[in-house]
Amino acid sequence: MTCPYLAYRSEGDGREFDVERAYCTAAERFVQPMRADICNDRYDLDHEVDCEIYRAAEQ
Amino acid sequence: MSYEDFLEGRPAIVTAALTGGVHGKEANPAIPETPEEIGAAAAACREAGVSVVHLHARRENGERAFETERFQEITDAVRERAPDLIVQHSTGGTGAPLEVRRQPLLTDPAPDMASLDMGPLNRYDHLTSENTRATVDALYDLMDERGIKPELELFNSGHVTETYELLERRDLADPVYATLIFGGGTLTRPRPRNFLTSIEDLPEGAQFNTLGFARHQLPFATMGLLFGGHVRVGLEDNVYYERGELAESNAQLVERVVAVAETLGRPVATPKQARARTRPGASAALPAGSGHVRVTG
Repeated sequence: MTCPYLAYRSEGDGREFDVERAYCTAAERFVQPMRADICNDRYDLDHEVDCEIYRAAEQ
Repeated sequence: MSYEDFLEGRPAIVTAALTGGVHGKEANPAIPETPEEIGAAAAACREAGVSVVHLHARRENGERAFETERFQEITDAVRERAPDLIVQHSTGGTGAPLEVRRQPLLTDPAPDMASLDMGPLNRYDHLTSENTRATVDALYDLMDERGIKPELELFNSGHVTETYELLERRDLADPVYATLIFGGGTLTRPRPRNFLTSIEDLPEGAQFNTLGFARHQLPFATMGLLFGGHVRVGLEDNVYYERGELAESNAQLVERVVAVAETLGRPVATPKQARARTRPGASAALPAGSGHVRVTG
């Protein structure tokens, strides 16, 4: 299950991209590509465990 | 390698880390992400004096990719535009299992070199890139099988010790080629005394590459040049040219460090010279893409 705060956007945070990129609606900014793997629970990653932004938003 | 190597004018190998896998265009729009962008960046860096390109693969949206097919697209784009460059694939992969991290080593031809992270590295607040000894050994064995020169990435002094441990477990081809990494977090604290200690602690005959993150890129590259080492620059490690001013391109960072080398009187290695220095058991005239040739050192 992907993070509920994950969205893919081409605009936001004062920036614009040709291809939609991972955007964190909790932090209100585009996230680093490596962090997007956490958002998407790819490989051995789990947003509920590995992401401090998610954990803070859920507290 | 030492100050004597500087005095003797031994060529310095310049590596460009073009893209990385942590930050992307959200940090600096000049970071190349597609195969076409990475190929063009490699060619520009070749013109500026680079002999090695350190490559990661990305999806179209900039996110990390590990699949052999994606690395193949990127490495083909680089070789098409700059056929004599030494191609170095990353095997780093925080949170990715070993089977995924093996994929960049399986292109045809194999990369000339590949990175080998020598131990743990903290990421964010709750994550560690583990790089266990079992992982290091498995990646090393596949590199050895495919004739790929390992570039040992030493995040801190503990990883210098791990290099000696690896030498006990495996017969590393000469010379040991290690990148000393300086910066925040788990990395060696970027101070000159730590740089000097690190280079003195390396195994006999090892060649070192100097990597300073962010604002430490240029000062540590300069120290690397002065003490007979090689240097790595690029947008993977530093997105700024000066404080508050984003770099315009990878080539801009390369041009600056090459100018420093020239000012200091340190020659910059051509790709042919770099092949001879990193793989003395192989012919310096190896054609590009010959990373699949088994090298014994």
